[in-house]
Amino acid sequence: MDTFLAFVEHSELSEWVRSDCLCAFPTIVTLHNIGMAFLAGGSVVIDLRILGFAPAMPLKPMARFVPVLWLALTVIAATGMLLLIAYPTKALTNPLFYIKLCLVALAVGLVYRIAKHILRAPEVDQKPLAANAKMLAVASLAAWIALIAAGRYLAYTHRWEMLGVPAVL
Amino acid sequence: MEMEPWEMWVRSTELHAFVHHYETRLWPLMQTLHLFGFTLLIGTVGSFDLRALGLAKGIPLAAIHRLIPLGIAGYIGNILLGIVFFFGHPEQYFYNNAFRLKLLFMAVAGINILLFYGSSAFEEVKTLPAAASVPLRIKIIAGTSLCAWVAVLVCGRMITFNRPPFFH
Repeated sequence: MDTFLAFVEHSELSEWVRSDCLCAFPTIVTLHNIGMAFLAGGSVVIDLRILGFAPAMPLKPMARFVPVLWLALTVIAATGMLLLIAYPTKALTNPLFYIKLCLVALAVGLVYRIAKHILRAPEVDQKPLAANAKMLAVASLAAWIALIAAGRYLAYTHRWEMLGVPAVL
Repeated sequence: MEMEPWEMWVRSTELHAFVHHYETRLWPLMQTLHLFGFTLLIGTVGSFDLRALGLAKGIPLAAIHRLIPLGIAGYIGNILLGIVFFFGHPEQYFYNNAFRLKLLFMAVAGINILLFYGSSAFEEVKTLPAAASVPLRIKIIAGTSLCAWVAVLVCGRMITFNRPPFFH
């Protein structure tokens, strides 16, 4: 494992992402954040509508937002891979990183289920919502909250491990 | 760099002392909350903007406009958090071009909001039939909003990479 991580970490691509250029790490991490805001934000809006917020908004046309979410996911996945290549040891030795990956799978899976079984259900706006609709929406909201927190705390838990002391900033 | 009087004042406040004392736990938590606020803002305002620009035409503009109060809640929460961040490390924000640009784009977004609610555009949104095409004026406001908020996010994220090379 260590030799593989060292191999990745010393590759040209990894070194380029870590270089001082604003076009490298800062741009990649910013795109990762923009993607997160659109994917999580768009999904949260769908969840809130299912839970009864803005009830005049029909659910069926909201499915048109889903491709935007998948576009955001593509950006997040591509930039996430680059960030992982830049700092493989930092990520893969942190248990929180694996929790974050599980939360990604859960949150994305819920977007897929909600889009398929609720937004695209026949006559969704004429009939009452499926019995599990609100449960899915609450699970989705919880997954996004946990995922965003996990993503942010990765930057701090890593330092705690490296230095053995609570880090500042 | 010498400390200016305004910074001495910020550093003499209770808020600064509080942030300084609890910094290790407070900072990651506040950043996470700041991301929640922004996600809510982009989710609600971004959806409205995309609808106004022509996506998901089956949603009446007035219906999707009901999301906006949530975006405003996220925005107010983030401004309050931003004040706490600033009081914690004033020099790291004040002498930071990314932070200054962020304030500029926040002003652009703010003026855009005033143009929307201060003109007849908002009345049009409330009465526009579901199938009707959105007037160009509203599309321009929506496009400006979307670009300005993404620019705020970009500049916010760049604050870290443009820190002044000194700590007071």
